[in-house]
Amino acid sequence: MTNNMAAKPNGTYTNFGINTVGIIRAPRGDGKEAIVLVTPYNSQKVTPNELLSLALGFSVFSLLSRAAWLSKDIVWLSADSQFGEYSAVSSWLNQYHNPMFLSHPVNLDTKIYGANQFLYKPDGTAEKAELMAFKRAGTMAAALIFKVGETRKYGDRDSVTMYAEASNGQMPNLDLLNVVHYLAVHRQGFRVNVETFNSLLSSSWLRVIAEVFQNLGSVLRKINPDWKLDVTVPDYVEGTANLASSMYNQALGVPTGSHGAFRDYQVDAVSLEFAPAFHLKNENAKSSFLLRGGRLTEGVVRSVNNLLEKFHQSFFLYFLTAPSKFISVGVYMIPFALLLAPLPIVAAALAGGSKTKGKLEDECKTKGNADDLQMEGGSWKWLKSARVLLIIQFWAVLVSLLPYYISQIPGAMPIQYAVIWAVLSITILIILYAMFGSPSRAGVEWKLLKATMITSITIGMGLMSIINFATAQLGALILIPMCLFSRPLRAQLEMNFLPRTVLLASNILLTVLGFPPAAFLIMKGLSKGSWTVDIVGDFWLWMEFLWEWSSATYLYVFLVHLPCWLLCIHVLLHPCYQPESKMKQE
Amino acid sequence: MAIRNFWSMAAAAVGFRLVLVLFGGDLHLASRPEVSTPLTSIRRLAEGYWLKQASMSPYSGSMYHGSPLLLLVLGPLTNKRSVGHHDHIYCSLIFVAVDFIAAMLIRATGRRLQIARNRNLKSLELTEAVSNSVNVSAGDIASLIYLWNPWAIVTCVGSCTSPIENLMVVIMIYGACSRLAPLAAFGYVMATHLSLYPAILIVPIILLLGYGPDAPPTKVFRIKSSSASKTDVSDNDKSSSSRDVQQFLWKPVFHFILWMLFWTFYVLLLSSIVLNKVGGLQEMFEKTYGFILTVKDLSPNIGVLWYFFAEVFDFFRSFFLIVFNMNIVFMVLPLAIRLKHRPCFLAFIYTAIVAILKSYPSVGDSALYLGLLGLFANELAEMQFTFFLFFGYIGVSLLSPVMHNLWIWRGTGNANFYFATGLAYTCLQTVLVVESVSSMIKHDRKLRLLVTA
Repeated sequence: MTNNMAAKPNGTYTNFGINTVGIIRAPRGDGKEAIVLVTPYNSQKVTPNELLSLALGFSVFSLLSRAAWLSKDIVWLSADSQFGEYSAVSSWLNQYHNPMFLSHPVNLDTKIYGANQFLYKPDGTAEKAELMAFKRAGTMAAALIFKVGETRKYGDRDSVTMYAEASNGQMPNLDLLNVVHYLAVHRQGFRVNVETFNSLLSSSWLRVIAEVFQNLGSVLRKINPDWKLDVTVPDYVEGTANLASSMYNQALGVPTGSHGAFRDYQVDAVSLEFAPAFHLKNENAKSSFLLRGGRLTEGVVRSVNNLLEKFHQSFFLYFLTAPSKFISVGVYMIPFALLLAPLPIVAAALAGGSKTKGKLEDECKTKGNADDLQMEGGSWKWLKSARVLLIIQFWAVLVSLLPYYISQIPGAMPIQYAVIWAVLSITILIILYAMFGSPSRAGVEWKLLKATMITSITIGMGLMSIINFATAQLGALILIPMCLFSRPLRAQLEMNFLPRTVLLASNILLTVLGFPPAAFLIMKGLSKGSWTVDIVGDFWLWMEFLWEWSSATYLYVFLVHLPCWLLCIHVLLHPCYQPESKMKQE
Repeated sequence: MAIRNFWSMAAAAVGFRLVLVLFGGDLHLASRPEVSTPLTSIRRLAEGYWLKQASMSPYSGSMYHGSPLLLLVLGPLTNKRSVGHHDHIYCSLIFVAVDFIAAMLIRATGRRLQIARNRNLKSLELTEAVSNSVNVSAGDIASLIYLWNPWAIVTCVGSCTSPIENLMVVIMIYGACSRLAPLAAFGYVMATHLSLYPAILIVPIILLLGYGPDAPPTKVFRIKSSSASKTDVSDNDKSSSSRDVQQFLWKPVFHFILWMLFWTFYVLLLSSIVLNKVGGLQEMFEKTYGFILTVKDLSPNIGVLWYFFAEVFDFFRSFFLIVFNMNIVFMVLPLAIRLKHRPCFLAFIYTAIVAILKSYPSVGDSALYLGLLGLFANELAEMQFTFFLFFGYIGVSLLSPVMHNLWIWRGTGNANFYFATGLAYTCLQTVLVVESVSSMIKHDRKLRLLVTA
């Protein structure tokens, strides 16, 4: 067993955190694999529940140090979480995985301070040996983070909440969650929860839907008893609330706890937050809790310890609807694929349709227009719309990079930042149009423009569904109808009154919803119930938050969603000159 | 007609490369499987150079598989470091120049093709019918495509040696188009020496030297001359010009072969001097050509062979090696027969096929054939599926790194994910080849119909 100092930067030398690490060498192992246990605590202000989680950690650790059956090393990290659990754990992991080779001992302290990873006393020399002796175990097989939270409900069973979402919607292997869930519920009698949206649990419309489903299911069951389609109302409501929370956390792309730091190194990790159902001064209840919590931890350690291989790769992509129920990638990909399926078809129809039309025109027309730069060959006409797409994508890249520079301006309110951002974006767009010609004057057929937009959105959605499925799914729900319904307002004039109104209304509604700040504003306004200007500032804060966690959702919003929205606006406002009339005008 | 502000766009492309090289920092492009292959990786070259400096064979340890001449030229540059830039900045700067030269040669080739095309159309009296509707300066377009192709840029900035290989192929085609036998032979020998596969380009080169640049099929000229002789017997110009087109000139071909032998000898001599005392030519052939043909390195790339040979049973391996290598050779003859009147286009098709089927493909190979594709902008104006191909290429090139990340880094995917993009990429390239050949044939048929009409 060794104790080791690690990591926690805060920029100043006086203010730092210390992670304490203990390692048990496995009597039966070769030291090539390890299991990590993490107990976060705040060293500045230790509360009774944190003491309890440290006690739990230490008792498990001291028990495991006597275990003869260990074949993987055990690492116990008590992470000093005064600057946040995530940063403490991630800096330790960073140091664990990036060994420092000190070839220049002279530069020692400057280098280490510069690298901001390791904390040192300024004299540096005495500590060098200790730095060299940064202790490691083998590759991490799995990690378990456990902490004891506040007592929520007295008298009930103790409950455990599992947190699993890491950055960009990555999940730990489902087997790990299953192990934890099984042991907690069936062995130790905990109540296991996952995160949920409480507002959905009490919503009445969801209950109505659930009842419809229940009745439908029972009718179907009467027709054929083999169809097990019925789902009870509470199950449905709870599953939906859990699923919504799971999707939201994945879509946000921000880890829900320090397990996210492990996932960055491809280590499966899950956070368990115990919520004891007793008062923390109750000694008897505490020792019983320590016993059961310790058994749970030991059970998980034993399960992982006995594994000869890694967890199977098929169980990384899923949503949780209950601690023991999930929706696998094989299931949730089907609706998404169905949602995406019309896009290539529509794009092909639009591109093909405009081509045949173009050919007819070519035949009618005399061979004029030869000094036009683009090729007249019907099949290359889309080059113009591809150019529009490239300009808009270029703009989107610039817009997505702007916050990095804007945030360098010191001492401004979020709302000021947001306004600067918006103004700069619009200016850049105008400059780009001035340089490369605006799409409305480029004479692009709206069908080709729409085909290009739809193709680009297909590629964008396909990519995003791989990077972070939940974001792609939620985005697709707005973006795909917006793309498919878009039709120039002038072209709509030819239609009948009723379809025209419906189309117009859906166009306006979807375009408003599709604009990211507007969508955010509406969501915030609905949830808060207040419509103030601060929401604009909130949008900036939210984007900054995503940026800082390097969430792919940020990239999605600015590189897929925003350009598509702008293209959609262009399609809607397309002047729709027929080529003949254009020639007449000229 | 020429493209307006061609030079400013070309300069912007070069400037963009320079900005990326000088200020882009280390983009880690050299370690991307799409960009660098075991044959073209500059890091391997640096290793080979280091081994050679240590008086060992550069080929020892299965690290380096390129030419010894590259070691001589680029090797000293790999040692130089400059603070604040990525490791191989000097090589990257050279590759920027190489790309620019290649683009200029493509443009010059385009000029030659354009002149030949205009002459042929004039002799067929089709200038009015064809040339006015579709007439752009193909050379300008091709060189701009080559310069602005993101893959060419990535290859150049990522310092792989593929720009040099591409340059040699372009030199060969340019030399053959302008009937400069020594230049064509130099390009041919060097390209073959560097990456072996351009060896099959000898067919279009000989056709180019013999018949001259691309022309409509001889049948068209024959029909024209017969109809002309029917209507006007005294007009001998056209029949004589059509005879010009048909005639195969043996002299430049003979020169080419002599020069080729000379350059081969010269290159081998230089190689053996470079490898003197640290290994011989025998080892060089084994470690370069042998490495290419036997697909020894199975690390993933954008091709399809690595996956196949990782799966295949050992006792079938040699059989399938023969099958896969013959695949390229099988295509040579039928295409040469069908497209013998358009040798430059034939060379483009060969490079595309090589880029699909070679053992260690990279995006640099695709950059070459996409650049050459631009040379036939006039003929391929009616090509089908261009919209699909364009977005397919974009989609695959974005999807491939993501899938690679999912497999290698996140661990939530497996090899099939990445291989699927490789497969899609191969399909796209196949569609491109098939479509371009068929639209070229259609173009020829249209010319014939216009002549008979």
